[in-house]
Amino acid sequence: MTSPSDLDEERPGPGTPESDGAAANDRSQPGRYYGQGIPYLPIEGYPGKLIAVEGTDGVGRSTQIQLLREWLEIKGYGVVETGWTRSPLMQPTIELAKSSNTLNKLTFVLLYATDFADRLEKEIIPALKAGFIVLSDRYIFTALARAGVRGVDRQWLRNLYGFAIAPHMVFYLKIDVDKLIGRVLQSRGMDFWESGMDLKTGDDIYESFRTYQQRLLREYASMTDEFHFRVLDARRRVDKIQEELRKQVEAFLEAADKPAEPALTR
Amino acid sequence: MTFSLLHATDFADRLLYKIIPPLKAGMIVLADRYAYTAFARDATRGVDRQWVRELYSFAVRPDLTLYFRVPIDVSLDRLLARRVKLKFYEAGMDLGWSANPADSFRLFQGKVLGEYDRLVDEYGLEVVNAVGSITEQQRVVRSLVARHIETSQSELTDDEPV
Repeated sequence: MTSPSDLDEERPGPGTPESDGAAANDRSQPGRYYGQGIPYLPIEGYPGKLIAVEGTDGVGRSTQIQLLREWLEIKGYGVVETGWTRSPLMQPTIELAKSSNTLNKLTFVLLYATDFADRLEKEIIPALKAGFIVLSDRYIFTALARAGVRGVDRQWLRNLYGFAIAPHMVFYLKIDVDKLIGRVLQSRGMDFWESGMDLKTGDDIYESFRTYQQRLLREYASMTDEFHFRVLDARRRVDKIQEELRKQVEAFLEAADKPAEPALTR
Repeated sequence: MTFSLLHATDFADRLLYKIIPPLKAGMIVLADRYAYTAFARDATRGVDRQWVRELYSFAVRPDLTLYFRVPIDVSLDRLLARRVKLKFYEAGMDLGWSANPADSFRLFQGKVLGEYDRLVDEYGLEVVNAVGSITEQQRVVRSLVARHIETSQSELTDDEPV
C-alpha cells in the first residue's frame, strides 16, 4: 500500500538494510520458518525432514527423486513427495490461467504462492509432524527464480515466502543451457512457459528458450549461498548423480538420528 | 494462509485489469472493500499482520477510504433480516470457535472489528457511523467525497472542444 520509497521508513525493525543481514542468517536454520511463518502453526521440534531438489526444467529432478525415494523406503524411512503446482485446490486454476493469455506476472507469483501455502499446510507440515521425509520436487526457489527473471521485487518476494520452511537440505541440479536444450528437445520439446515466451524477448521459441533459461540459471546461481544450495553437476550420468545424492542424504540422516532422536520409522 | 493468498491473487488480478486502467484514464474507481478487508480478516485468522501488509504493498493506496462502522448486533440483525443463513466464512466457522453460527459470527466479527479499529489510525480511514439511516449516511459520504474531488473540479469544467 505504499510506494517502495516510503516502505523503509514505515517498517519498524525488520526489513531495514541493517537487519537484512540478520534475516539472511536466519535462513540457515533448517526446519524453521524463513520469516514470520504461520503464527497458528508452530513447527518446532517436528521429527520429519524436508529435502528439496531444485533445478530448471528437464534437468532430471523427477528421475533423481524417484530413485532417492525407493532407496529411502528400502532403508525403512517413510517418504512423502510433494511437487510444484500439485495442490488439489490450485492445480486446475493454475492450468486454466496458463492456458489463457491474461496472466500477469504478479498474479502468476501469487497463484504459485497460494498453491505452495496449500501444500505446506495440508501436506508438508503434517508429514513433518508425523516424522516423514518430505521430498520436494522444486521448492520456493523455483518461484523466486521465475519471478526474479520477470522483474518482481526481490525483497517483496522473500517477504512473501516468509511463511515457508527452510529445508534441511536443498540440492540444486546444475546444468548449462546447451546441455539442457539437448535434453528438452529429446524428451517433450519446448513449451510456451518454459521458453519464457510471455517475456516477449522474440518470436523464435528456440532463442527465447535459450535467453530465458540462461537468465533462470543466473537467478539460481545467485541464490546458491543465500539459501545454502548443495550443488550437483547435473551433466553427469543419472547413477553418478544419484550416488552423490545418497551419500549426502545418508550422512545427514545418520547425524540427525544419533542425538536422542528416535529412529524415524525403523 | 492459503485463504489469504487466494484473496490476494484475486485482488492482484482485479487491480491490474479493473482498477489501474481507469485510474490512468482519470476516472473515479469505487471499490466495494479493499486491501483493508484482507488486513482485518487475515489477522483475525491468525496470519501475521506485518506479513499481510507487505504482501499487499503492490496495491494502490486509495485517495479516500470510507469505513462504515456498526456494532456486531446491528450487522447480525441486518444480515439475518435479508437471508436465512449466515455464510460459513463470514461467520468464521472455519476457525471452530463455536458450533453455533450466530455465536461464531459474534466472536469472529468482533475480532475483525478490533482489527479495523487499528487500521483507522494506521491508514487514516474515514469512519462513517453506519447505524444511521441511509440518507444520513449518504450525506456524510457525499460531503467527504466532495472534499476530495473539489480540487480537480476546475480542470473538468473547461473540457470544451477546441
